[in-house]
Order: sequence, then structure tokens, then C-alpha cells
Amino acid sequence: MISFVIRRLVLSVVLLFIISIISFFIVTLTPGSPYPWGELNPKISPEVKANFRKKFHLDRPLHEQYGLIMRDLFSGNLRSIKDDRPVMSRILERLPATVALNLTSIVISLSFGTLLGVFAARYAGTWKDGAGSFIAFLFIALPGFWITYVVVVALVKGFGVPILGTHSYGIEFPNALASGLDTLWHLLLPATILALGGIASQSRYIRASMIESLREDYIRTARSKGLYEDVILLKHALRNSVRPIIAGIGMVLPALIGGAVVIETIFAYPGMGRLGYEAVLERDYPTLVALNFVVAALVLLGNLVSDLLSAAVDPRVRLE
Amino acid sequence: MRSIRLFLYGIPAALILLLAMAFLNASFLSVAKKNEMSVGTLGEPSTLNPIQQADSASAQVAGLMFNGLLKYNQDLDVVGDLATAWQLSQETTFQFGTGEEAAKARYLLDNKRVAGNWPITNIQTEGSNLIITLSQPGLTDSENIANTLTESGLHPLPSPPLDKGGKERSFKAEPIIHFNLRKDVRWHDGAPFTSADVAFTYHAIMDERVASPSSSDFELVSSLETPGPYSVVVRYKKPFSPALLSWMQSILPAHLLGKVEPAKWPEIYNRHPVGTGPFKFERWKTNEFIRLVKNPDYFRGSPWLDSIVFRVLPDPLTLQLAFQTKQVDFWAVEPWAVSSVEKDPRFDLFSSAGGMYNYIGWNLQRPMFQDVRLRKALAEAVNVPQMIKYIIYGRGVQSTGIFTPKMWFFNPKVRPLPYDPKAAAALLDEAGWKVGSDGIRVKNGTRLSFTLLANNGNEIRKDIATLVQDDLKKIGVEVKVEIYEWSVLLKRFVSKGEFDAIVLGWGLGNGFDQYGIWHSSQTHPEELNFIHYNNPKADHLLTDLRQEYNRAEIIRLAGDLQQTIYADQPYLFLFVPEGTSVMWKSSYRIRRPGPKSGEWIDSPVRMTKAGWDYDMEWFYRPEYAPNIPATTTIR
Repeated sequence: MISFVIRRLVLSVVLLFIISIISFFIVTLTPGSPYPWGELNPKISPEVKANFRKKFHLDRPLHEQYGLIMRDLFSGNLRSIKDDRPVMSRILERLPATVALNLTSIVISLSFGTLLGVFAARYAGTWKDGAGSFIAFLFIALPGFWITYVVVVALVKGFGVPILGTHSYGIEFPNALASGLDTLWHLLLPATILALGGIASQSRYIRASMIESLREDYIRTARSKGLYEDVILLKHALRNSVRPIIAGIGMVLPALIGGAVVIETIFAYPGMGRLGYEAVLERDYPTLVALNFVVAALVLLGNLVSDLLSAAVDPRVRLE
Repeated sequence: MRSIRLFLYGIPAALILLLAMAFLNASFLSVAKKNEMSVGTLGEPSTLNPIQQADSASAQVAGLMFNGLLKYNQDLDVVGDLATAWQLSQETTFQFGTGEEAAKARYLLDNKRVAGNWPITNIQTEGSNLIITLSQPGLTDSENIANTLTESGLHPLPSPPLDKGGKERSFKAEPIIHFNLRKDVRWHDGAPFTSADVAFTYHAIMDERVASPSSSDFELVSSLETPGPYSVVVRYKKPFSPALLSWMQSILPAHLLGKVEPAKWPEIYNRHPVGTGPFKFERWKTNEFIRLVKNPDYFRGSPWLDSIVFRVLPDPLTLQLAFQTKQVDFWAVEPWAVSSVEKDPRFDLFSSAGGMYNYIGWNLQRPMFQDVRLRKALAEAVNVPQMIKYIIYGRGVQSTGIFTPKMWFFNPKVRPLPYDPKAAAALLDEAGWKVGSDGIRVKNGTRLSFTLLANNGNEIRKDIATLVQDDLKKIGVEVKVEIYEWSVLLKRFVSKGEFDAIVLGWGLGNGFDQYGIWHSSQTHPEELNFIHYNNPKADHLLTDLRQEYNRAEIIRLAGDLQQTIYADQPYLFLFVPEGTSVMWKSSYRIRRPGPKSGEWIDSPVRMTKAGWDYDMEWFYRPEYAPNIPATTTIR
């Protein structure tokens, strides 16, 4: 067990190193330059450009640039080209809003998805199941930005409610409750829309897994004991059906800080997705390399956690 | 079992309840607005340090917190901001072989200064140097004096030219600007503003570690002295008239930054700056908002608004929705939407033709495009009025060259070439391009066919390319349109000169100096005369223009330059789009101090040459009317 963890960690470090090289070259070999003033600006002299390149080491050969970026990344001195601030503090300042949005969204998709999945399994084969499946596939198939625009336009035009950012602006709140609910509203709305696809796919997993469990011998035994259908469903079938989901829970780790570019942009929500997206547009190499590195590290860690959790919940799995 | 039920039904039920409560709360929130202006921006500022920023989002926010020595007034005349007055002068130095000769020259000029009608304010000798102070910088007077000296048999030694290939002259001309500063200005932290701040700002801009994009504006400064706490003397290496405008540069506080290494500025200053302007920094929440509050001690008086919040709303559609729900107060309307907003009585509209024009650049290194008759024919064959009608919905005017109508040196006498495909065809016939068997014109075995490049992500330019292709086909010219990503376009084609024709646009501010775009020396990779335009007359005008300080003379030279380049048709000049902003009807008014003291003029928000948002510090919401009554009210 311990030797397994150590081997995995060593392997992860090697993998991270390879990922960092690949991501650095993908990012820097893309055409374009990180000049903040655009590339055809009559007011900028060649000396200014040269000075700028020197300041951010862009005049060095690529392999030296890679070395410098990695050195600065580990010493905490890596600075964004956009605003010259440490990249880590740019990432950390987005963390609370991002984690809040993703955590809420994960809770919503797991809870609603499970509930709907259980119902679909219970009524498997009837018209209720068919309708549920149709809606679930609809939400999986519809592009997220379209749903978001429809909801946004309907809410704004129909009810005139403020929806952008993390709270309402220019308003004197009568009390702390109103202000708190306002913040909650600005969190729950994008989280719900972000969760729609998740609810749909989660309900499909649970449904399939439940239907399989319901065919097992122990369910027949339970039925023959004369247990209530609810008890069979929730206590016996559901418990066995959530096992694959628990095993996959390690992947929640990268998902927590992952970005949702489209929803963040439309809702003007200050999350990690916009940080990455804007860094791509601005060719902010240090920010991009650091973001890729952090996300890759979390994916590798998440994989490890998943493996350990599967071993914990399923005695048949041995880690060797 | 109970706990499973609780999880399965309880969590979703709780979430639905919370969402419903939050929704009700949001829809019943009181609409009691604060005395706060809310502005939406698509992009987020990169830094609020005015000497390190190059993006318009940063400049918009920092502009309210800082002042320069000079500024534009609403008619785009240059007026004092932190400076109360400024005088231009010039020291012209003639070097002679001997002190005797210099003394002779001085005697000669002393007698002739009235007759020559030169603006001489002082003549002195220093060893073998004769130093003449003129009250107006420029080269004309100095050249006349030099001629007078030569005619009288006095021969000053040649002075080496400052730039490579420049003209050798018999004198050295050094323009000088004296600034007198306001004495009533304080930084937001209470420290007084003095000439030390100006000197510090200049040295910071020139400091390599700061990497300021403004440094090229100050390259020609030879020295900056501060004879007193409220006086600044700047001396230049040679006459360069655009230099005056560079003193609109915001001034930084020396007492806060002077002793700090520039590498530390991003942490200690750039995201919470201290300025002298009408608004003070309060808070910046990344990717959400920047809030400024009024500076009650502003030297022109406290602004009426309590605060201004700049909200970062990256999506154009949500920005529009935010305006419609009064979450932001202004909205920059896309051309296609203007007509629907225009008729709506609920809004006030502000439109003006901007400082930007679209064009097609012909690569003049390609033999085909070297014939001006061909370029003129192509221009006559393209229906620009139709382009304006269909691409920008009539919100713009046809371009007549390198300047746009809002600039004070624009030459209105230049008329656009008319749309005349018949004349174009005749001109092509005359130039030897005859229609071939496939309908495309041919000359000496070369088909009149070329590739037109445009960049992805810019719908207007893609539409231009399509319409040009269609129009030119009608007169027997084949155009192949290729679309590339912006950086690819620049790197692979423009900077290498590997293109036939390209759709682009220039956004130019209010300066008349276009040396970088049109002078024949500016054709190296990454330089801006990438079409290789070369006309000796235009070269002279460009050089003269940047050495001319006289307003009337600038208008004459710029007018001639615009005429000269338009006649050459190195670009197919297309159109100048109009920018439009809207606000809810009468949601703001302006009450600003009049020319006399104690006078207050109250007016609606209106379009000025400097834009509708000029004088933002004097904007007020009618429900929070200013406590100082207006002496004059304009309805």
C-alpha cells in the first residue's frame, strides 16, 4: 500500500515534468505576441518593444525561457505578463469564487441527479422513465451557452432581476439578510445552470447502475422477505449503485478549481475559467504555464485519491 | 434508512427553497440607487499605473485619478491641467571658428533683428558660440538667420545631424518648454504636488526597468530641470512639435515611488494608486469591479458623484442587458442596433465619427500595384457608399485619406473618388489591362488577379473583403480572399511584406504626426509602412510637419500631406465608422464651473469634440442635485 503510493507519487512527478514541457511549448509556439498594446500600434517604438521583451525574458531562446519559467514557478517569483503580479496570487484570488461555484454546482448535480436517477430506475420502462430520459438527453445535448442565454434573457426581460457578478450593484441593502440572499442568488443561479448537464448525466449513471443492482439476487431475496419497495430501492439497491461514483470522487478535486468559461463570461463571474481564457487571448505565457501545471497536478492527485477510495470501499480491489 | 431519505429528498428540497428565496429577494430589492455612476467595460484594466499602461480600459479608469501638465479642452484645444501656463522658446546655437567671428555675427544680428522680423528675445555669445533665443521653436527662422549670416560673409561651422541621413545644418536648434505649475494641488494622501513629481515621472518613463510604452514620446528630451518647486524647464535635442502633447502624460507621486524599485510597483502601487485627480481609488476586485470615490479636495472642486464603479462585463450581450436593467448607466451600441435605439424616446444618444478608418493597403513592391492608374481604377470600382450602408448600417462617412473629419487639421477640400465603374474600366484599358478570354483583364501575359487578406474575428473586415471581391469582378479583376488569425496575418504576411493586398484599419487619436506610417524610411520588418509607400514630397511634408509649431502652418502642411497621399492612392481609403453611446434619458446632467469665478453652468450631457464623457467629474444624477446653484442653465 505505502510502496504503491510512493511509486505513484514518483511517477506523477515525472509525468508533471513532461506535461510542463509540452504545455510550455504549445503555449509559446502559438503565433502571436504578448504585447499589451497590440501588434500594430503606431505609438510604440521598436525600442519600447525590445525593452518589454527583455523585461519578461522573451528575447532568450525558448529552452532558456522554459528554465526561467520553471525556476520562477517553484520559487514563487513567476509574474504575469499582463499586470506584472505574481501568478500564484492571481490564481489564488480567484480560488474562493471558483470553489464556491463549482462546489455548489457539484452538490446540485449529485443530489438532483441521484434523485432523478432513482426515480427513473423505479419507473424503468414506463412513460415516466421515457420522459425523464428525453429531458436528460436534451440537457446533455443542448449547448451550455444557449441555455444560459435563454435563462438570462428570460430572467432579465421578464423579471428585471440583477444577475451579473457576485452581488447586486448600486443598491443600499436594507439588512444583512437581504444582502446575504443577494449573494446567494448570484451564486445559485450560475451554479444551477452549470449543473444542468451534470444532473442529466448523473441521473443516467444512477439509473443504469440501479437497474443493474435491481436484477441482483439479494434484491430478489429482499423482495421475498416482503420489504417495502422504498426500503429495497434506497437501502439495498442505491447503496450498491453509488460505489462507482464514490470511486470517481477523486476527480472532483480538479473539477473544483476548473473553469467554466462560457458561464463565467456571460454572468461576469470572476472565476478561474476567465483567468485562463483571457491569458490565452493575451498570450500571458507565465499564467498559462502555471495554470496548466496546477490543474495537471490536481488531476494526478485526484487519480491517486480515486484509486485509494476504491480500495477502501471495495474490499475486492487490491493496490499492488 | 432515514438518513438516506434525508439526503435523497432533503438536499434537493433545501436547494429549491434557497433558490426561491434568493430569487424573491432579488426581485423585491429596493431600487434606491446610490449616488454612484456605474460604467460597464468589456475588458479589465491591466494596471492603474498611467506610465505602464497601453490598453484603453486602463486609461479610462486611470484618467479619472490622475492629471497631466496639459490636457485637451472639450474642443480639443490644448489647455493647462496641472500647469497654469507654459511658454515655448528655442535656443539656436551657431558655432564659429573664433570668438571674434561670433561677436561680429552678434553685432550684425543686433542691427538686423527688427528688419528680419525674427522673434528674437535674446542674443549672447559664449566663447566662439553665438546663442540666439527665439520665442517660437521651429527651423524656418533659424534657417533665415543662417542665410543672412552667410550672405554677410560669416560662416558658422556645420553642426552634425542628429539622425542618420538627416540634413546637415549650420546651427543647433534646441526647443525649450517652461511650465508653471499650480500651487493648490495635493496628492490623494495629502502630500503637496511639486515639480519634483514631474521630474520623477520623466525619469521613471525613461527607466528601462519600468518598460514604459510612453518612452518614445520623451526620447528627444535632452534635459529636464526644476528651477523651483512650481516650475519645470524641458529642453529638447531638436524641434519636434508633437512633443508638447506628450505632457498630457499623467504625473506620478515622487514621494511614494521615488525610493522604491520599479519591480515592487505592481504590489505597492499599480493596483491601488494615489493620484491628483477628481476621484480616489477605493477598491479593485479582480474580474469584477473597480470602485473610485470622489476626491473632496480636488483642486477644481469636489465632484458631485459619491463614487464611480467600473464593472467588468466581458460579454457584449450581458453588457446590453445590464444597461437595460439599469445595472450600468451607459452602453456603446453596435452599428446594427443604433436605428432601433435611436427612435426610442427613453434614451439619449451620443454619436460621432471617430478617429479610426478602414482601408485596403496595396503592396507597392508588387509590380502590378506600382501603377497609380491601376490603384485609382480599383478605388473607383469599389462602391464605398454601399459598403457604409450595408456593413455599418449607414453609421459612418467615406474616408478621404489619412486624417479623419474630427481632427482639427483635417483637409475638407479633399473629395472622395466617386463610384464610377465605367471610368475605372476605361482607366484600366488605358493602363494596358485588356479583358482576356476568361473575362479577367490581362497585360503582357499577367492576369489582373490578386489575393486580399483579412483577419478572423473581425466581421466588418471580412464583409469588406467580400464586397470588394464582388465589385472588382464586375470590371474584370479577380480577387481571392483569404482569412487568417490576426497574429498569423501579421507574422506570416505583413511583417515579411508577403502579401498583395490587405484589409486593415488605423485608430489614430488626435496627433498629426504620421511619420511612422508613411515615411519611406519606415519599411523594415515590424515597422508600419509595410506597403512600402515612397513619395519624396510626402517625406518632406512628414518631416516638416513634426518640426512645425505654428498652428496655421500645421493645418497647411497636414492638408497638403492628406491631399498628396490621397492622390497617390497607396491605400484604398474606405470609411470612418461612427461610435454611438446611449444612456437612459436625462439620467445625468452636467454642472461645471464657467469661465468667470463663481459661475456655474448647468447643461445636459452632450457630444463634444472630446467625446460625450468629457468632464466626467461634473456629471451628476438629477435625484442627487448639486448643492451649488447654477448661474446659467442650458436645457
